[in-house]
Amino acid sequence: MFERRLYYHIDWAMLAGIVALCAIGLAQIFSATGGFSLFYNTQIYGIVLGLFAMGLCLTIDYRSLADKSHWIYLAVLVALMYVLFFGAVRGGSRRWIDFGVANLKANLQPSEFAKAALALVLAKFFGESRRGAIGREDLAIAGALTAVPLILIARQPDLGTAVTLIPVGFAIAYVAGMPMRIIGVLALVGVLVAPVAWKFALKDYQRERISTFLDPAQDAKGAGYQQIQARITVGSGGLWGKGFTKGTQGQLRFLPVAHNDFIFSVLAEEQGFAGVLVTLGLYLFVILRALEAARLAKDRLGAYLVMGVLASFTFQVIYNIAMSAGLLPVKGLTLPLMSYGGSSMVATLAAFGLILNVRMRRFTN
Amino acid sequence: MAVTEDRRRIAIRLTVLQVGCVVVFAALGISFWLLQIVQHARFEEMAANNHQRTLALRAPRGILYDRNGQVLVENRHSFTISLVREHTKDLDRTIRLLSAVAGLDPNDVKAIVARHRNEPTYRPVVIVDDASLAQVAAITARRLDFELPDIVVEEVPTRQYPPLAAHLFGYVGEVNDAMVLSDDTLKSGDLVGQAGIEKIYNALLMGEDGAKRVVVNSLGREIRTLDEEPPTEGKRLQLTIDYDVQKAVEDGFRASQDAHLTNAGAAVILDPNTGEVLAFASEPAYDPNAFAAGIDRATWASLTTDEQHPLNDRAIQGRYSPGSTFKMAVALAGLEEGIITPDFQVHCVGGANFYGRTFKCWKKGGHGTIDLRHAIEQSCDVYFYTVGNMVGVDKINKWAEVLGLGVKSGIDLPNEVTGLVPSTQWKREKMNDKWYAGETISVAIGQGQVSVTPVSMAVYMATLANGGTRVTPHLLKAVDEGNGWKPAPAPAPQSKVDLNPEKLQAIRDGLWMVVNAGGTGGRARIPNGEVAGKTGSSQVISNEGRVAAGRTTKDLRDNGWFVFFAPRDHPQIAGVVFLEHGIHGANAAGIAHHILDTYFAKQQGRPLPPPPTPAGLHFDFSDPYARAGAPAVETN
Repeated sequence: MFERRLYYHIDWAMLAGIVALCAIGLAQIFSATGGFSLFYNTQIYGIVLGLFAMGLCLTIDYRSLADKSHWIYLAVLVALMYVLFFGAVRGGSRRWIDFGVANLKANLQPSEFAKAALALVLAKFFGESRRGAIGREDLAIAGALTAVPLILIARQPDLGTAVTLIPVGFAIAYVAGMPMRIIGVLALVGVLVAPVAWKFALKDYQRERISTFLDPAQDAKGAGYQQIQARITVGSGGLWGKGFTKGTQGQLRFLPVAHNDFIFSVLAEEQGFAGVLVTLGLYLFVILRALEAARLAKDRLGAYLVMGVLASFTFQVIYNIAMSAGLLPVKGLTLPLMSYGGSSMVATLAAFGLILNVRMRRFTN
Repeated sequence: MAVTEDRRRIAIRLTVLQVGCVVVFAALGISFWLLQIVQHARFEEMAANNHQRTLALRAPRGILYDRNGQVLVENRHSFTISLVREHTKDLDRTIRLLSAVAGLDPNDVKAIVARHRNEPTYRPVVIVDDASLAQVAAITARRLDFELPDIVVEEVPTRQYPPLAAHLFGYVGEVNDAMVLSDDTLKSGDLVGQAGIEKIYNALLMGEDGAKRVVVNSLGREIRTLDEEPPTEGKRLQLTIDYDVQKAVEDGFRASQDAHLTNAGAAVILDPNTGEVLAFASEPAYDPNAFAAGIDRATWASLTTDEQHPLNDRAIQGRYSPGSTFKMAVALAGLEEGIITPDFQVHCVGGANFYGRTFKCWKKGGHGTIDLRHAIEQSCDVYFYTVGNMVGVDKINKWAEVLGLGVKSGIDLPNEVTGLVPSTQWKREKMNDKWYAGETISVAIGQGQVSVTPVSMAVYMATLANGGTRVTPHLLKAVDEGNGWKPAPAPAPQSKVDLNPEKLQAIRDGLWMVVNAGGTGGRARIPNGEVAGKTGSSQVISNEGRVAAGRTTKDLRDNGWFVFFAPRDHPQIAGVVFLEHGIHGANAAGIAHHILDTYFAKQQGRPLPPPPTPAGLHFDFSDPYARAGAPAVETN
C-alpha cells in the first residue's frame, strides 16, 4: 500500500518547518522549566510519539481513513463521554484519561483528537456530497456534527479547546462552497446573539475574563494580572531579547504557565522581536504550505480534510500568539507545536500527517 | 463542468484564506513590533520594577559615650516583621494568618496597615518591631511554605539604652508626617530622636540609610543581590556625662525610692568652670528601650496617664519653689548693691514684723544676733526678711538673674522651661498690679512667686562657685565624624559678671558652715571634701490648705532641696539634688553626699563607694506640719 515513490512527494519543506517549531518550543520549555526537567523529557516523548503518529497517518490512504471516519468520530465521542464521567480531574476540569502499565504513567486528552476526527468526518460528508451547491440541510448536519463534540468538550469544562472546533466546521463549509449569503446571515446572527450569550451562556469567571481583558487594571492582581504581565514580558524583550534562559519575567514566574499557554511570550522575552519574526515566519510558512496542499489535492475530500485540520491549527496559533502579547483575553489555549503537552503534540503531528498524506497522494488513484 | 466550476471556487476561496493568513500574521508582526520596539523602554522598566526591589538598610544610630569613653547607648540587632502589600493577594487572609502565627491581635494589625495605606505598596509596613525569636521562627517556617509570601523578616539595628538617665538620652520613634514635610532629609518610616539628646543631636546621630538592590521572584523571595550601598552609621558622640557620677545619682534616688521616701525628683551635676554636665537625672523615669522598638499602646497609655508624669523631665521642665536655697541670691544682691556687708547683723527673736504683718522664723525663739555667714549657716529667715526688705524685689530679681535663676540655662536639651523671680515690672505686665513691699518678704526666703527649675539651680551654684560666670550647661563633649574625636566647642557663657571675691567669700563661708559646722547640710560632709551647700524645703501647699485637704492620697509633703559645690575654694563640682515631697533638704543632702563621695573617690583614685542603702541614708520622715496638728498624710 505504501509505495516507495510516495516518499518523493512528501512535503519535506513543511516537515522541516514543523520540526523547527517543535525544536524552538522544546528549547523554550527547557528555559522556562529550568533545564532537563520532567516537562522537557515529556515533551521529547510527545514529539517522538507524534512523529510516529504522523508516519502512521501517512501510511494509510486518507481516502480509506475517510471511509472509516464515522467510526473514528464515534470513538472520539465515546472517549469524550468517558472523560466526562470517569476522567481525571486537574485544575477543576475533567480532561484526561489516566492509564498506566506498571510504573509507566501516561494520560490522554481525547479532546485534542476530536479536531482531526471532526475534520475527517466533515471532509467526507462534504466531499461525497453529490449536489452542486451546499444547501441548508447540509449546513445543519455539519453544524450538528460539530456541535456534539463541542458541547461535550465545553462540559469538561474546556471552552478553549471546544471553540477550536468551530473553525474546523466553518473552514470546510466555506471551501466546500457555503453561499456568501449564509455567511452573512451567520455573521449577523453572531452579532445579535453575543449579548444574550454574554448574559446567559457564559459563566461568571468567563465574563470576568473578558471584562478584565477590556480593562486589565481593574483586577491587576487577579485575571488582569496575566494579561499585564504578558505585555510586560513581550515588551521588555526588545529587538534581540534578554537571551536564552535570561528572561526575568518567565524565569522568576511573574508570568504563569510560561512553558505552556505563555510559551510565546517567553520566546518574545528571551529571543526578542527577531525571534518572534522567525517563529511567526515559520508558522506562516507551514500554514501556507498546507493551504498549497489543499490547492493541490487530487479530490475535494483531500482539500476539505486539509482545510479542516489546518483551520483549528491556524485558529489556535493566531489566538495564542495574540494572547501572548496581551492582545486577546487569556484563555487556556496552547500554542500547537510549541507549548508543553503530549496529547496536543501527538494530535497536532498526526493531523499534519493527514495533510502530508493528502499532498503526497495527489498523483495516486 | 461542475468539477472545474468546483475547482475554480475552491481555488478562489483558498486564495482568500491565503491572503487572510498573510494579513493576520502581518498584523501580529506589527503588534509585536509596537510592543517590543516602540514601547520597549516602558515595558523594560515595568519588568525591572517587577523583579528588582530596593530595600532600605537602616543605618545604626551613633553610639553615645561618657566623658571617659564608656559606652552609654549602643545598638543591638533586632528583627522586624513587615508586610509588603505589593505581594498581598488577600489582605484579610494575610492578617488573619500573621496574627495567628505571631500571636497578635488582628485588629491591631489592621490598624497598623490602615495607617500606612497611602504609602507605595512596595514599601514594607512594619507590623512587629523587635520580634521575639519564636515569632521570627514561626513566620520563617510559614514563608518557606509560601503561605505568607508578603511578609518579610528583616534584621535592623535598634537602640539599646542602659537603665539610667532616660530623660537625658530621650528616645527614638518613627518620624511623623509633619516632620517629613518640613525636613527633606527625612523620609517616612525613619526613626528620629523624639526627646533628649536623641532629639537635639538627631542630625548627627541619625546616619544615612543604605540600600540594597535585589532580584526577587514573583513570590517576593530574594533571589540574589544586584548591588548594595552599605548604610553610614550615625556619628559617635562623647557626652560630658561621667558614668560613675550618673550612677551615683541614680543609686541615690533608688535608695530614696526603696525607703519609700519619694520616687520623684531631679538632679543636675555640673563642672562649674565649664558648664559640662556630669550627671543629669529626672525621676520617675521611663524605659527608652520600650520606644526604641516601637512602643505599644498599653505602655504608652500607662506613661501618659501616670499621675507622676514620668515623661516629664523635671530637671528642665519642673518649676518649684526654691525655699531657703534662694537666700544666697538675696545675700549677693545686698552685698553687690552695697546695702549690706558680710558683717551686717540682725537680731532674730523668732519672727519680725514687716508692713503690719508678722513673719516667723523657722526657729522658734530665734537665732539671736546673727551675721551673714551664720545667717546662711542657720538659714535664719528673719535675717533674710530684713535684707530682702532693704534690697527690694527688683534688685533681688537682677542678681538672681545674674546667678541664673528665672532665666533659661540654655542647656542642649529640648523644651526647657523658664523659672520665675518676680519684679515690679513683671507684676505690672503680667498681673497688671503694683508690687506690694510685703510681697518682697516672702520672696527673700524663696517663697511666694519664686519658682526655679532644678537645672537653673545647678547653674546658680556653679555661678557662685566660679565667681560670676553663668556657664551654659552642655552635654556634648566631642564628636567623631569618622576620623577620630573632635572636641565640640563649649557654648559661650550666658553672662559674666565679676563678683567681688571678698563678698562672695562670705557667702561661700556660710555655705561651707552649713555642711561642715552647725548647719542643716551636715549629711553632705566629705572628709577633706570642703563641701559648701545649702538645704531648702518648700511647701507645696499652705499650712491651712493642708489641714483643709485632710486625709488625701495626694502627696502634699514638702519638697526637699540640696544645692552645693565643692571644694569651697577651688570648686570642681556644683549641682542640685531635688526630692519632690522629700520633706527635708537634709534628705537630699544625704543623696548629694553619695554623689560627692563618688566624685572625689574617682578624682583621688580611691575605690568608689558602694551604692547607698535606704537605711544608710538615714532619711528623716518627720513631717513638721503633721506634728503641728494636721492629720497624718498618706504617702504612696
